[in-house]
Amino acid sequence: MERKIIEKKTRVLLYLIIFIFTVLISRLAYMQLLETERFETLAKQNHMRLNPIIAPRGEIYDRKGVKIVGNKPVYTVSLVYLGLKDTDRVVNRVASILGMDPKEIMKKLEEQQLRMYQPVRLATDVPLETITVLEEQRLDLPGVVIDVEPVRSYPFKSMLSHVLGYVQEIKQEQLKRNQDKGYRLGDMYGQDGLENAFEPYLRGQDGARQVEVDAQARPVRDLGIKEPVPGNNLVLTIDAELQKTAEASLERQVLEMRKQGYEARGGATVMMDVRTGAIRAMASYPTYEPSIWIKGLSQKQWEDLQKSGALPNRVLQLYPPASTFKMILAIAGVDTGKVDPSWSIADPGHYLFGNRAFNDWKPGGHGRVDMRKAISESCDTYFWYLGHRLLGVDLIGKYARKFGFGERTGIEIPGEPAGIVPTPEYKYKRNKAYLDAIYGPKFKAIEEKYKPLLASATDPAEREKLEKAKQRELRAVQNQYDQYKWDLDWQVYDTLNMSIGQGYNLYTPLQLVNYIAAIANNGTRWKPYLVEKIVSPDGKVIKEFKPQKIGQVGVKPEALQVAREGMRMVTTVGTAAGIFSGFPVEVAGKTGTGEVFGHDNHALFVAFAPYDKPEVAVATVIDYGGHGGSAAGPVARDLFAAYFGVQNVPQRTAYSPE
Amino acid sequence: MVDKRFLKNLDYTLLIAVFLIICFSLVIISSATLVNSPMDFRQQQEIWNKDAPGLNGEAASEPIGTSFLKYTKLFFSTFVKKQIFFVILSLIIMAFILSVPYEDFRRHRKTIYILNILLLLVVLSPLGHSAKGATRWINLGPFLLQPSEFAKIFIIVTFADFLTRREGKLNTFKDLIPCFIHVGVPMLLILKQPDLGTSLVFIGIMFAMLYVAGANPKLVAGLFVGGWAFAIGWVWAHFKFGLWIPLKEYQLDRLLVFIDPWKQWHGAGYHVVQSQIAIGSGGLEGKGIYNGSQNQLNFLPEQHTDFIFSVVGEEMGFIGVSALLLLFFILLYRGIRIASQARDLNGALLSTGVVAMFAFHILINVGMVSGIMPVTGVPLPLFSYGGSSMMTNMIAIGVLLNVYMRRQKILF
Repeated sequence: MERKIIEKKTRVLLYLIIFIFTVLISRLAYMQLLETERFETLAKQNHMRLNPIIAPRGEIYDRKGVKIVGNKPVYTVSLVYLGLKDTDRVVNRVASILGMDPKEIMKKLEEQQLRMYQPVRLATDVPLETITVLEEQRLDLPGVVIDVEPVRSYPFKSMLSHVLGYVQEIKQEQLKRNQDKGYRLGDMYGQDGLENAFEPYLRGQDGARQVEVDAQARPVRDLGIKEPVPGNNLVLTIDAELQKTAEASLERQVLEMRKQGYEARGGATVMMDVRTGAIRAMASYPTYEPSIWIKGLSQKQWEDLQKSGALPNRVLQLYPPASTFKMILAIAGVDTGKVDPSWSIADPGHYLFGNRAFNDWKPGGHGRVDMRKAISESCDTYFWYLGHRLLGVDLIGKYARKFGFGERTGIEIPGEPAGIVPTPEYKYKRNKAYLDAIYGPKFKAIEEKYKPLLASATDPAEREKLEKAKQRELRAVQNQYDQYKWDLDWQVYDTLNMSIGQGYNLYTPLQLVNYIAAIANNGTRWKPYLVEKIVSPDGKVIKEFKPQKIGQVGVKPEALQVAREGMRMVTTVGTAAGIFSGFPVEVAGKTGTGEVFGHDNHALFVAFAPYDKPEVAVATVIDYGGHGGSAAGPVARDLFAAYFGVQNVPQRTAYSPE
Repeated sequence: MVDKRFLKNLDYTLLIAVFLIICFSLVIISSATLVNSPMDFRQQQEIWNKDAPGLNGEAASEPIGTSFLKYTKLFFSTFVKKQIFFVILSLIIMAFILSVPYEDFRRHRKTIYILNILLLLVVLSPLGHSAKGATRWINLGPFLLQPSEFAKIFIIVTFADFLTRREGKLNTFKDLIPCFIHVGVPMLLILKQPDLGTSLVFIGIMFAMLYVAGANPKLVAGLFVGGWAFAIGWVWAHFKFGLWIPLKEYQLDRLLVFIDPWKQWHGAGYHVVQSQIAIGSGGLEGKGIYNGSQNQLNFLPEQHTDFIFSVVGEEMGFIGVSALLLLFFILLYRGIRIASQARDLNGALLSTGVVAMFAFHILINVGMVSGIMPVTGVPLPLFSYGGSSMMTNMIAIGVLLNVYMRRQKILF
């Protein structure tokens, strides 16, 4: 063959080779010069892992700097994604050591699915003995990680628990709601109380440890650490000493009342500075230790906790105010000019309306009663007269609202109800719904019963007979319904009930203390608040909360003066005189005994002190605790004693008639 | 026997290119086989639990290999030592090849062809050694022999003779059938192992040699293109209609993965994806020898054999791969030059076969690691770790040099 032909053919081969190399080099240039960044990121995602270091949450201090909530280190056990091979074996093993259900762990792993490089937390606050067992079996437990994490610690155990709230792992819906704030599954989140209300401040910035891993996800080396930043601290308006007193006193009284044979399920007390609205103590009984949430509760524990009645903050629960409401009528009477404080009635011990007599709590009556005495002795007849003859439901409601009833106080912690200032519309709606719930199904049942009968009836005579029977039955139920229907409308006795704080009235102890404070401070309504300031971990004040005036009550000063005078007489000569006899600080108060159908009465006591220059107000409720003065009064007395530094408080458990 | 004239007539450009490629390969093999302190779980736990160095204000631990001393110690890994041994062994074999005038190969054509078939049959017999789902080796005690590697050079030698005999009689399809049988028998045996990559190289070699041997160019091109179209059609029909296909499940997976590797990131696409990440993340300058995370942390599979090119891409960047491809191009260019200057058709065909073999290996291997060819698992010639491959390639270089030395008729 000619050499030229060979040369030609090999040249073609050379062109082919040049073409191949051009393709290859172009591909490589594209990957390495144009797409570098994308591949660099992918490479990094391959071998870099960020493992969060949990930041401690902010701490909570009382107004004097006493630490109420801190952090302590505990052991946590987590599991790193293992691939599919080892998971079952390791999960079963770890579950048996930790005493958990393997299914529970698998569920947690599944929830984690999208972020497999993050360890999944299995257990928190694991005791050292368990950690030791895990350490011993480390070689057989690949992927099990033991960490030290900060968790909430409560030096005073259960103290202030209802106000503090608690922290728990973030829930799915919270995670969804806070998506943009960088929360991850397993993060702690304030679930109630201040922990919830101040979550954005209390939460710290988690740090991270960057770890390099190989293809089997085994860590190869540490690449450095980003230090976590602790959350900001809260300084409360609460005084730990007063709080301690409040809780101890409340517990003592509840147990005492139980001993005396009352139901006495629990109680609430709250002390507020009448000059600012700062809450000095807020207690609810029974209580629980917030630390129980750290480990997480089992279903049984959760049910027990709910049953115990320790969960709700009773300061924010609704109670009938009973006689503590009577100052509203007195103030309304004077402010509207419908009655002069010196005007009096002769109390025969009952109030006659039509042919019905409403009996005062005191058989035989209080004799000649003017406004001050009516407050002092809590004379029902006087306020029935005032409420029914002179004021009426609308005016009572109007003055109740002036003092913040039926409106949230705006305290920082969540879950506050607005309360109910009764109105005819409210009554109608409430009772209508109640009646419909009872009779609606009955009407329906009759219709249902006759429907197939009527449908199968072929004979028109038979049909008519059936139709008549149906109408008869319907009418019978309708008659029953109508019997109660008249009670949809506002009746005189509703006004009478409302006048003595019964009936549909429902308010929180916090609203009560706020109302007493407004009486005490001559008509200013402050917004109650719990947090004085937010301080960064290095001591810088981040936010300071000043007293916030909601407004003036807007009634004549004389009206408030009469109310105060009447309240002063309560503790000197009136229904709580026994409790406060010999007490060195001049206290003004009001007892209340809220009737509850089918239960013992709620015992209430509201007060402020000193009488001349009021500083603090207190509201106390003992659920189903009997008489207001004797059950709730001592709690207020103990709180005042602690506040004013009174030594040797005369520990009278004097019987209070109301 | 070693004549001074012979030494004078060696193609030194080619030799230098080969030398540089091998040196380059030793460095990369060292990096690819560096063992990064395998950790048991206790050590692992310690890293998880121990405070990171940064906690105490110290700098994080120094990156692997900052000191030169450490490098030299690291450099001579077991694999590098073995590879150096293979290179020396290969050089001896190459010297032997040079000493025999290439015309003499033809006399042994039958022996070579039969030896080739026998070796491939032994692989498929119970004596064959399997690994990773394929039976490609014969266990020779300390070494595994891979006959499919040697088969390539054997077929180049026998087919060159075969075509030389049929010079000028390769114009019709009927004329080509014996050629197909000649190449097809060993090729099918290799496909049976299975080794799709090497089989493809066989096809490449055959068509290149047919073309140079003077076969009807239209026929050759038509068959080449038609064959590809047929193969692609067959695969397509398999996926679409479930038509039978002589491919194993994993090979089909690889073909599927080739279409969209990112879809099966953690499954069949893993190799391709990790390889592309390695190359792409290398950028222009690379991450430095011993410093590629994909390589060092074993994200890259087979990083000292089939995927060694990815290590070059990751650790030496575009500069590194360009340099390597340039060296390969010089090698191929010299090979083509040798083919065109060969004294006779047999010499030209031998050179063409060798060049085609190298070119297809490079195309398939680099194409595979960079994601433009399906994963078929062929080594990068003269570069991937492995004795059989090194020997075959050095024999091939020896054949080229042999043809070059004896290019001038007057010498003989």
